Amino acid sequence: MSSLGTSPPRKEDRRLVTGRGRFVGDLQLPRMRHVAFVRSPIAHARIENLDAEPARAAGYRVFTQADLGGIVLRAQSALPSYVETGQPALAEGKVRFAGEPVAAVVAPDRYRAEDGAELVEVDYAPLSPVVHAWDAAAAAVHDEAPDNILLERTFDAGDTDAVLERAHLVVRRELTTNRHAGNPMECRAGVALFDPADRRLTFWSGTQVPHLVRNMIAELLGLAEGNVRVVAPDVGGGFGVKSVLYPEDVALCAIALKMPSTPVKWVEDRVEHLAAATHARDHRYVLTAGFDEDGTLLALQADVTCNVGAYSVYPWTAGIEPLMAGGLLTGPYRLEHYRATVRGVATNTAPSGPYRGVARPASVFAMETLLDDAAAQLGMTGVDIRRRNVIRPEDIPYTMPSRLVDDSGHYDECLTKALDAIGYADLLTEQQRRRGTDEPPIGIGFACYNELTGLGRAASAGPRMPFRTGHDACTVRVNPDGRVTVFSGVTSQGQGLETTVAQIVADALGVGYDDVDVRIGDTDSSLWGFGAFSSRQAVIGGGAAHRSALATRTKVLRLAAGLLEADPDDLVLTNGVIEVKGSPDTTIGLPEVARVAYLESNRLPDGIEPGLEATEFYDPIRGAFAAGAQVAAVEIDRTTGSIRILRYACVEDAGRAMNPQIVDGQIAGSIAQGIGGALYEHLVYDTDGNLSTGTLLDYLMPTSAEMPELVIGHVERPAANPLGVRGVGEGGTLGPNAVLAGAVSDALGVRIDELPLSPSVVWTAVRRAAEDHVTPTPPEEP
Amino acid sequence: MNVDMIVDGERFELDVEPRHTLADVLREQCGRTGTHVGCEHGVCGACTVLVDDEPVRSCLMFAVQAEGAVVRTVEGLEQDGTLHPLQQAFVDRHGLQCGFCTPGMLMTAVHLLDTHPGADRETIREEMSGNICRCTGYAGIVDAIEEAARSR
Amino acid sequence: MKCAPFEYVRPTSVDDVLAALAEADGEGKILAGGQSLVPVMALRMARPAVLVDVNRVDGLSALDHAGGNVHVGALVRHQALAAQTLHPLLAEAARHIGHTAVRTRGTAGGSIAHADPAAELPVVAVATGATVTVAGPQGDRWVAAEDLFAGPLMTTLDPGEMVTGVDFPVPTRWGFAEFARRHGDFALVTVVVAEVGGEVRTAVGGVGPVPVRARATRPEELADELSPTGDLHGTADFRRGVAVEMARRAFASAGIREAA
Repeated sequence: MSSLGTSPPRKEDRRLVTGRGRFVGDLQLPRMRHVAFVRSPIAHARIENLDAEPARAAGYRVFTQADLGGIVLRAQSALPSYVETGQPALAEGKVRFAGEPVAAVVAPDRYRAEDGAELVEVDYAPLSPVVHAWDAAAAAVHDEAPDNILLERTFDAGDTDAVLERAHLVVRRELTTNRHAGNPMECRAGVALFDPADRRLTFWSGTQVPHLVRNMIAELLGLAEGNVRVVAPDVGGGFGVKSVLYPEDVALCAIALKMPSTPVKWVEDRVEHLAAATHARDHRYVLTAGFDEDGTLLALQADVTCNVGAYSVYPWTAGIEPLMAGGLLTGPYRLEHYRATVRGVATNTAPSGPYRGVARPASVFAMETLLDDAAAQLGMTGVDIRRRNVIRPEDIPYTMPSRLVDDSGHYDECLTKALDAIGYADLLTEQQRRRGTDEPPIGIGFACYNELTGLGRAASAGPRMPFRTGHDACTVRVNPDGRVTVFSGVTSQGQGLETTVAQIVADALGVGYDDVDVRIGDTDSSLWGFGAFSSRQAVIGGGAAHRSALATRTKVLRLAAGLLEADPDDLVLTNGVIEVKGSPDTTIGLPEVARVAYLESNRLPDGIEPGLEATEFYDPIRGAFAAGAQVAAVEIDRTTGSIRILRYACVEDAGRAMNPQIVDGQIAGSIAQGIGGALYEHLVYDTDGNLSTGTLLDYLMPTSAEMPELVIGHVERPAANPLGVRGVGEGGTLGPNAVLAGAVSDALGVRIDELPLSPSVVWTAVRRAAEDHVTPTPPEEP
Repeated sequence: MNVDMIVDGERFELDVEPRHTLADVLREQCGRTGTHVGCEHGVCGACTVLVDDEPVRSCLMFAVQAEGAVVRTVEGLEQDGTLHPLQQAFVDRHGLQCGFCTPGMLMTAVHLLDTHPGADRETIREEMSGNICRCTGYAGIVDAIEEAARSR
Repeated sequence: MKCAPFEYVRPTSVDDVLAALAEADGEGKILAGGQSLVPVMALRMARPAVLVDVNRVDGLSALDHAGGNVHVGALVRHQALAAQTLHPLLAEAARHIGHTAVRTRGTAGGSIAHADPAAELPVVAVATGATVTVAGPQGDRWVAAEDLFAGPLMTTLDPGEMVTGVDFPVPTRWGFAEFARRHGDFALVTVVVAEVGGEVRTAVGGVGPVPVRARATRPEELADELSPTGDLHGTADFRRGVAVEMARRAFASAGIREAA
């Protein structure tokens, strides 16, 4: 019986529901010491003096950048316009954002560590802060980039100017999006332990990318990579924020080297997380789009500015958001003439980095806003203009103007299913009925998007970083007792990869799901994996698991063939039993085969080595696009500006759904983050560069009471990879900004140029709309 | 300062600093690392435990205040290797992804089912709104609690 | 986010609380439910030298009729307030305070003494004309709620005093309406209208440093009286507009078209 396509109980759940999860913060080791960071209270300043003596005199260990050897993280890219800058493990000479770590204090517990941090005296000489990326630069954040532009690139296809010139309709919009925090429920955390006898460093880290962390830590600290072990045990959410190697991580490991045989632990608190973990989506889009009479999108010119914060995030670079915005702005729409200049601008705010959906929640909002605007001006519906322009199945493979190749094309089908799911026709009737009454107006919003997932070596080449993230490895081992252990390079922060990998291996090998255990997140046990980002693991890690299970199966069958004196091609392996096709009485169990492989070499057939395992890599070379469409209906309370989501539907093409429950869970969770970002979440800096939303009292994530019931549908169009899967981790976040802004705009007949759609913004829009309507027209002369 | 309390049926006589939160003492001194700390300012609900049968944010209570109290944590829900119906429902209905908020969710839900036995989805959504989950979009959580409420 | 060190005392009588506060000489702070105090201590924005835990003080948990009023002891939890039927307006207000795990700990006395202008109970206290019982070194004194609140998180209490209870008049008609960003959040605006002794009294929270006693007799007149400021959640105009709307709803649910 196939395990794939079903939703067996997750391997992870028993320990997690009983409180026996293993999170980094739960680790207690003998002689453990705790770290607190002294952080800059100022956005931009010269450090005039740092006096650690009062803290040291009180018995604390204190480390500064100089004490740790001046380690600097330098995110690299070979893109011509990229300006390489450095991020110190601990600030030295200058601080570049409020919350930047300046020194580290070590104490027997966290309470005392925070007491000690208060004793470190730092004198700052404030410099002019730069807060917004599109204001004139008041100061240079980095000397290397006097204009603060860390990267600028132009995507250019066709003849955009000429086509705009002759377009029937030209739409111009300037849109800004709100800055978000990933805010996994578990903040960042690390425990580092250095064993001086053999110069081995173990780093338990709540990271999404343990092998990358191993590679980077070894290089930065001058350790042999084989002597660095990174363990990501249970990780309490990541969403991209934990795919970064942070200065705190490096400082912690460097402290461990200075305090041999002493485990040092740092668990980020929520205030630190909001201030110093990466932010995202602080963008401005200046757009000009040309359309034909029938709504065909002819040309698009875009100028995109992304606030990348104080540092080029390691190792992804300041290019991560601008390049994604430019590469995927046109989304699922056919377009020939496209010119987009994208730039990443440094400011004195927390660094921006990868956050679920990277840039596209903003860029989809931009694109969909243009379509809605054009539709309104052309007298078309939002549905018709999208149908007119989406990439169709017959266009596949479709080369987007950014030269990415879309292999999906089922956008219209997704949209149609989503419309059916919310009862579009009935909603239109109800919307019409309410017009002119005092009842709350209804608006309907739409978004179509393409999620680029499972990027292979070609698709991951764009940012020109000194590595390509196209492949993962997996080892499948049949143990002497016939049970299977998988050592996979994937990691999990809630996505249930232990479960999905077990399902893949169970099916490909021919054993039961319950007979497979999966080990992930430990660089000492798995060969290689880039980790969790870009919705890559189902495609790439899953592909590697599938291939290594097939290779193991081949070995099993060869060995069994020798034992059964049969031809391997005549054998089938199902549910752990090898059977000769056509003679069901001739069987041998996998445990017996495994026993021979390890323990009874006397029975090994000629030419077969002992042991029963295989390791394989997989790289899809290109990526797999996942089509998606979301539609929602909202009701607006004119008196308070609050938005009630009446219905919300999302239909995605996730290819083959390996575990339907997990797929739906990923979609629901990502929509929730999207809705949070559209309506509630907003990181706000004041003009001095201080974060005004520094606690969860101000940074508002949606709760169960804010989330609507969702309707999730599927279009299962298998992708051209071994498992037929498309990634599903991020798509849900791409729609809500566009859908909800479109719905509010539809309900009120107003433009929405900025997010989030807070009650105040909507309330103000209601009044603006009312004023527009009562604007008296001059009476006609008799 | 001494504190004497019962945690999941086990008596603890501990020496703590007054400033140590109940959450930290449960985690560091009682071995109850299932109680998670998500914000330390009383918003996220991850640290919710039952103190004398009432849900409490253990990051906002000092351990010394639990003197003489009976504390229940997520580690006390399983009985003789059998999951509590809510734990089982969370497993069955995909009520968790990363599992970090889950202990607080479960303890809040235990109280919810005690006080609102026939809770419908809307009640569940309102009553659970003091516990933030960043993974699930709450769909599986509401499903799970509804199922547990129905099967009581 | 760990609190700075403090000394902890757990008196069991009001006299001992007052003695502990006196001994702390201005550096003491009363700990009741802790739902507002402990977060700011965790942020080290409050660092009392002495924390006087009043949770085990006898006689502060009463909730009963007293004359035409309902007397609420300082230690009555929001949850109990939400469940009682003696004072329906208080029950409705208490149901809007935070979430269950906040209501199980948070206390009436703490909420009044904390004086958060966005909190529900101070608005109810001002609207109903409640009287706050304050114990101090010179004995008890009684303060009208309107005279207690001095600014955001500031009262006219001396550092050596404590709130021991509040007497809330029971209104003959009342309305309560609030607007919050999310379920359970501190309200952006709270409006309470209460008819007490034939007089219709209106109080508005979230539009100034203290709950504002409004003189307007009709909701739409309220706008002229309020001078809120803009903040993260929106403009001053928005807040004023929402206040008028909440007043409209409160008046409507009270069955009051126009204050007498």
